[in-house]
Order: sequence, then C-alpha cells, then structure tokens
Amino acid sequence: MKTKLSGTFLIAVLAVFLFTAALPAVAQTGNKPAELQWVLVQSTLTYHVSSPVHQVYGTSRAAKGKGYCSGGWCNFLIAAPVKSFTTGDTNRDLHMLEATRGADFPMVVVQAHFRQSQLNSATIDVDLEVQFGGQKAHYAQVPFERTQKGSAVEIKGTVPATCSDFKISRPSFLGMTIANAIPVHVDMTWRSM
Amino acid sequence: MRSNTAGSVVRGGVFVCALLAAMVPGVGAAQSGSAALAGTVKDGSGKAIAGAAVTAASAATGQTAKAKTNAEGGYRLTGLAPGSYTVRVTAEGYASKEASATVRASGKQTLNFSLTAVTAAASGQELPNAPSAPAPASGAGNLSLESLGFTPQQMQSNSKLQARLNRRTEMLKIHQQLGLITVAPMVADLITGPMAKVKGKNGQILQQPTQANIDLHAALGSTTAALYFTTAYLAIFAPKIPGTHKHGAIRVHEALAFIHGPGMILTPILGAMAFQQEQNGEKPHGIAAAHGAVAMTTAIAYGASIIAVAWPIHLKFWRKK
Repeated sequence: MKTKLSGTFLIAVLAVFLFTAALPAVAQTGNKPAELQWVLVQSTLTYHVSSPVHQVYGTSRAAKGKGYCSGGWCNFLIAAPVKSFTTGDTNRDLHMLEATRGADFPMVVVQAHFRQSQLNSATIDVDLEVQFGGQKAHYAQVPFERTQKGSAVEIKGTVPATCSDFKISRPSFLGMTIANAIPVHVDMTWRSM
Repeated sequence: MRSNTAGSVVRGGVFVCALLAAMVPGVGAAQSGSAALAGTVKDGSGKAIAGAAVTAASAATGQTAKAKTNAEGGYRLTGLAPGSYTVRVTAEGYASKEASATVRASGKQTLNFSLTAVTAAASGQELPNAPSAPAPASGAGNLSLESLGFTPQQMQSNSKLQARLNRRTEMLKIHQQLGLITVAPMVADLITGPMAKVKGKNGQILQQPTQANIDLHAALGSTTAALYFTTAYLAIFAPKIPGTHKHGAIRVHEALAFIHGPGMILTPILGAMAFQQEQNGEKPHGIAAAHGAVAMTTAIAYGASIIAVAWPIHLKFWRKK
C-alpha cells in the first residue's frame, strides 16, 4: 500500500515538474516569430554617377539573393557580378570595371540585417554591409519601402554609397571629376519559400 | 600529518594526470612528431598568396599546428605526429578552404591550395554610421555566394585582366586629354586658313598671303597633326579586353574616326600641294583646291566624335542658374 502510494506520488510530482518545466518553452514557442526563407526572384540595381556635364546610370539585373528570418532577426545576402552593371556604353562599363577593381574583386556582396518585427511594415530600416572593390562599408538603418504584390514582396530604396566608402579614386569626365556620391537604387522582388 | 596528506594528494594527482596523458594517444604529439606538411597557397590565376593562415588539426587529438605563407605563397608545418589532419587555409579576400591530409611517419607531404577570391574584405572599413551587428539568425549559416548559385568562375579574381584594364584606362585617359588639347590648334588652324590663302578673281591673283600667315598656318597644322596622331596611337594600341562586344556611343566615336582619320592624312598633303601651287604663282587648283573643304570636314567629324563619346551631355550647371 505504502509502495503504491509513494509510486503514485512520485508520478504526480514528476508530471507537475514536467508540466512546469515545459510551460516556459511552450510560451516561448508561442511568442517566437516563425522561421521564414526568402528568395530573390527579380531585381534591378542602378548606380548613378554624376559630373557637372554628365549623368551615367549603370544597371544590373543579375543579382541573386536569399534571406532567412529566425529568432527575431532577418538576414539577407544579395550579390551581383560587378561586370553585370551596364550603362549602355562598353567604354564606360570598362572604365567602371577598372576604377572599381572589378576584375580583382568581381562580386558586389550585400548583407542586409533587420528585425523580423519590421517584416510586414511599409518601411523597413535595414543595416547593410556592402563588400565592393576590396572594401567593406556599413550603412545603418537604410529605409526601404515594402509593397506586398500578391505572394511576392517588392522592396525599393537607395543605398547612399560614395566613392570614398570603397576607396575608389574618382574618375574624371571631360576633365571634370565625378561626384563622390554614387547612390545605388534598389528595386527587388522577393518571394517566401 | 596534514601536510603529508596534502602531499600525497598532489603526488597522486600528478600520477593520475600522467597516467591519463599516457593513455590518451597522441596528446601533445602534434608538435613533437618528425613529419612535415608543406605546400603552396595560390589564387585561381596562380598568383602566390602571402600571409595566408594554414592550420592543421589532428583528427585523432584535435591538436593544431599553424603556419603563415611566405611571399611565394609557401608554407611548412613541421613537428607533426603521423596521422590524419584537416588542413584549413584562410586568407583575407579569399574563400577559406579545407582539405584532408594523411601525414606519414617520415618524409615531407605536399598539399597545395588554390583559393577563390570571393569579394574581398581587404580592409574592413568601419564607417561612422556602422551598425552594431547582432548575432546572425540560425538559418543565416546557409547564406553564401555558392548557395546563391554563382559559379566559381564568376567569383574568381583575375589579376591579369585587372592589369589590362588599368593599362587600357591609363592610355585612354591620355588619349582623352590629348584629344581635347588637339581641338585648340585645330580650331586655330581653321581660323588662320583664309589668311594663308591666295585671294583672286577669275583666275587672277589679287593678293598673296604673307609669309608669316603661311608659316603660322603650317605650324598650327603640324601641331594639330602631331597631337592628333599621338592621340590616335593611344586609342589604337590601348589593350583590347577579350570577350567585349562594343555597343553604345563608343561605336559612333570609332566610326567617325573613319572620316577624320583619312582627313587628317589628306589635309596636310593637299595643303602642301596648294602651297606649292601658290609658290608657282598659281591659284590652288585641282585636288589641292579641296584642302580647305577636307580640313573643315575633318574638324567637324573630329568634334562630332568628341560629342558622341560624351553624349548625352547634361548641362546641370545651366539648369541651376
């Protein structure tokens, strides 16, 4: 009788213990944002170079990207070959490739990082780390507009890049040096997997 | 008594530790063996990578041996115990690489590495607006250029191509500067042209040009020609970039050279013929009479080629005013 009682008591204690131990885990899972994966389906990246007498726009549609959201944070990786940016003129593109050391460092790689709670906001403030031309630059809290388009999400914004961020010696055009600012306009469509 | 007990415990501990060390095979052996592993670390183009960190970790004990590559990209790990090793190479600006190697009891094993330049964080520049970087999300471990689907060829650096691009830009920069400088004597030559010309009516010479005007015109022409052909040389002999198909304004710029190029050869020849005829007391005639027209066509084509390569010219400063 005593053995049976103590056995039941033990099982009861164990059940209470397990339940108590499991409670925080259940609560945590309930609050934890879902894990999400994203893939870049379409993109247009355009850099803008300006001099007093000239404006050049170089566009790449060859970027590839993936993203993961987990544990309250989203991390995205986007990359494009430097030579995929074209201005419509071969001579200018080759000059760009030379000035940015595009043969030595053939990829421009962007790592984007933001809080998962922003994922459904109209504006997402993203921390960016850009590797380009053998240099790495950080841009904090860059705002991107987010638009839901069916099952896809369109992201638009401008990365405030400058030549000096990447130690690019500024080329000149008709004897006039280009502006330091080379903003990169981003237009991307992402789809969750 | 107490001291004796403590002494026994210490001695016992030392003995147990020594015993355990003896029982675990290879502890401390990674640095005490006689074998060596050597090789080179190079990039895809065969260029030596200096300062790359090479680490060999023993599969059996986890003990590591480290070395750095020299200026020739060579490394040498010595004092290794025989066994299997995982050798990892890391170099700034390159994707890390790992390989397995079995080190034998004697002799030197060779293990060469070829690293792929990814994108280089050659000198991670922390800008004032740098964000604090929280720990990446768990899935972020899968994010790599390879996982995005880029091929090693796309990610591989090409120092030979970079050198070619640098040389090309260097030559074309001088080409551009000399080309713009050439405009000055060319325009001056067009202006002085009528002053170096015989004036006449109905085949009769009314006024001979002064020798000073002829000399000035000829000198300006010679300067223009010298600058022009130097400019052309720099463009013609600038290194060509393989696999490049020309498109855009550069094609118009180059097409116009088929007009101003022959024009620049023909103009001084016709000028010399016209001068000779004038020296004989004749008004320039025949093909020599086309000297002025050819010079004008050449100058217009030359100007158009400058505008073509600069097009579209955006007069931003005008708009601001």
